[in-house]
Amino acid sequence: MGSDESYNFVFKVVLIGESGVGKSNLLSRFTKNEFNHESRTTIGVEFSTRTVQLDNFAIKAQIWDTAGLERYRAITSAYYRGAVGALLVYDVSRHLTYESTERWLKELYDHADPHIVVMLVGNKRDLESLRTVPTEEAKDFAEKKGIKFMETSALDSTNVEEAFTEVLTGWSYFLKHKSSVFFEIPTDFSPVYFQQSIRRWPAGK
Amino acid sequence: MAKIGNGRQSVDTRSIRTINSSHIDDESSLGSDSEINGFTSDRRTDKYGFIGGAQQLGATDVPPEVLRHREVKWLDMLNHWDKWMIKRFDKVRLRCQKGIPPALRGRAWLYLSGGKVKKEQNQGKFQELDSQSGDPKWLDVIEKDLHRQFPFHEMFVSRGGHGQQDLFRVLKAYTLYRPEEGYCQAQAPIAAVLLMHMPAEDAFWGLVQICEKYLPGYYSPGLEAIQLDGEILFALLRRVSPLAFRHLEKHKIDPILYMTEWFMCAFSRTLPWSSVLRVWDMFLCDGVKIIFRVGLVLLKCMLGTREKLKACQGQYETMELLRAIEPRYMQEGFLVREVRILEVPVTSRDVEKEHHTQLKRWRKTRGELNLKPPPRMHGARLVLLADPPRRQDLKQNPTIVLEVPQPTSQLKKGKEEKQSMKKKSKKKSQPIMEVPNPYPLPNEHSPPPSDPPAMPPVTSKTPETVPQTVPQTETLSPHQHCAPPTDLAPAKDSPHQQSTQSLSSTELDTYL
Repeated sequence: MGSDESYNFVFKVVLIGESGVGKSNLLSRFTKNEFNHESRTTIGVEFSTRTVQLDNFAIKAQIWDTAGLERYRAITSAYYRGAVGALLVYDVSRHLTYESTERWLKELYDHADPHIVVMLVGNKRDLESLRTVPTEEAKDFAEKKGIKFMETSALDSTNVEEAFTEVLTGWSYFLKHKSSVFFEIPTDFSPVYFQQSIRRWPAGK
Repeated sequence: MAKIGNGRQSVDTRSIRTINSSHIDDESSLGSDSEINGFTSDRRTDKYGFIGGAQQLGATDVPPEVLRHREVKWLDMLNHWDKWMIKRFDKVRLRCQKGIPPALRGRAWLYLSGGKVKKEQNQGKFQELDSQSGDPKWLDVIEKDLHRQFPFHEMFVSRGGHGQQDLFRVLKAYTLYRPEEGYCQAQAPIAAVLLMHMPAEDAFWGLVQICEKYLPGYYSPGLEAIQLDGEILFALLRRVSPLAFRHLEKHKIDPILYMTEWFMCAFSRTLPWSSVLRVWDMFLCDGVKIIFRVGLVLLKCMLGTREKLKACQGQYETMELLRAIEPRYMQEGFLVREVRILEVPVTSRDVEKEHHTQLKRWRKTRGELNLKPPPRMHGARLVLLADPPRRQDLKQNPTIVLEVPQPTSQLKKGKEEKQSMKKKSKKKSQPIMEVPNPYPLPNEHSPPPSDPPAMPPVTSKTPETVPQTVPQTETLSPHQHCAPPTDLAPAKDSPHQQSTQSLSSTELDTYL
């Protein structure tokens, strides 16, 4: 994860959702392939990176994680700044965490870029016997809201890679096809921080 | 590590039950609790209780004679707390800066924070709160956090173990004590640190004092106080390290992105443990300015030179750097020294002035504060003056009480014994009954004091009260911790003799 690693772009992705749904372990599973039963409560901001290949580009995914408890939402505007993707996580075995995703979505759109790629993630899929949120129900909800959907398990790695990759791909697709700025790809592999490029976009998009 | 369920909650949200330990009774916390999760005795626990031993690094070793010396001084201070706090607070501060002897740390913290007074003035309150069931909404969140605080500390390692149970009780009690505040996740590490040094009721009152007097508003809904302090920290940084300040400003690194965990947890999750304890010794004595100073020292060390900044090209690299503070800057000796002699002194007044400035700025850009917390108390003396204690509030309560035949009318409560090493006393109390020594050594028949010193009580929660390097061949009985080993003469005098020595003693103690 050093600065000598070459990459073309940096995409910032945030993890949001209620406390205890597994955000921190999704982060560690994706960036370090680690899962920790005894992870600490997240206080403040945690983050980690991993570089992935999308098409022919090296994308450095900067994944941010923060506390899920309600009152921490007060300090999240700095957290959302420059994010191109968000994983809105709930726990499939705790229906309450799913019920609050609507609020989280609103929070997200209040603070983040309107074009941010959002995925609803039902984590802890391994707890099939304790499931309280039916897959179809969540899938329909995601569709209605125009966001992506996936169920994952940070514990056994199911779909973790896929979830992050899909969000990152979603953004690069948006860059390529939906943005009206001709995006010049640097040939010298110098990193491009997305937060800077977004400001060059025309208003009203 | 034994396989534990992956965070699934017990269906009954009100009860704390380990998955497989309902048969465990009250044995030593290390033995029963950690074995539940497969920790065997060959997993070494360091002197702070952490499994693995990584926390030992960088700790300063204080020679036992010095520790004994300090303990005697602290016992004297605790016995005359109000006098010391009002008339000789500078001495109290100096002794806090040198580090409170481990055996007395819990007690000293309780006195410094004003928790002791609060406890005595609210007798029965904690029990009342403890007996209530609590708001399920809070209980749910608290339960989720119990195994996520210092999971590698022996006290908290086992699910449903005593440590986690006490943590639950303390946090639950707070939500009942202040229902409008409820629970904030950063309170758990604060409570956990306190619990490592004192029983649940004491830890509860310590938590109350920290949340209400030292760091008011930190844990309240809206988290406005912590955001404000972030701005204050940043503003103070400008004076302490203009280079670091400019760098953070240039890369738009919001203070909230690096100081949240530092401040809300009072560095208990950032520093090596010996440093945490030293910082807390000073913090409970002098208030939040210590937290600011530690933050400023770390920022200055990590970002204060051009050379260091060369390695931080952007926001992310900078934040990475701040999350991986070099161990040498966090080391006990270095850190305490830097905090004490910060080149640009940061006083409580500086903090308050900057607070005023930032509050004005906040009002202009964000409107009125939603919650106005009570004013901050900048240290133990102010806490005491704000809530003056009654004489009986400061009395120490023995945790071990011997059966004493026919107490005299003059018999006071108190735990210390004054040995003959202490110089002459001006005032003699009534002679007390001589009680046969229940723990006689082979060639000793000295009677114990009427109340034994409780320094390393057998019910102590801290594993480190027994000094590790005392060069004695006999096992120490509880009595000997108060005196140098060679000097255990029979205590003919009352153990409660007033000593004038300590108020003017020359400092033999130069260990920082």
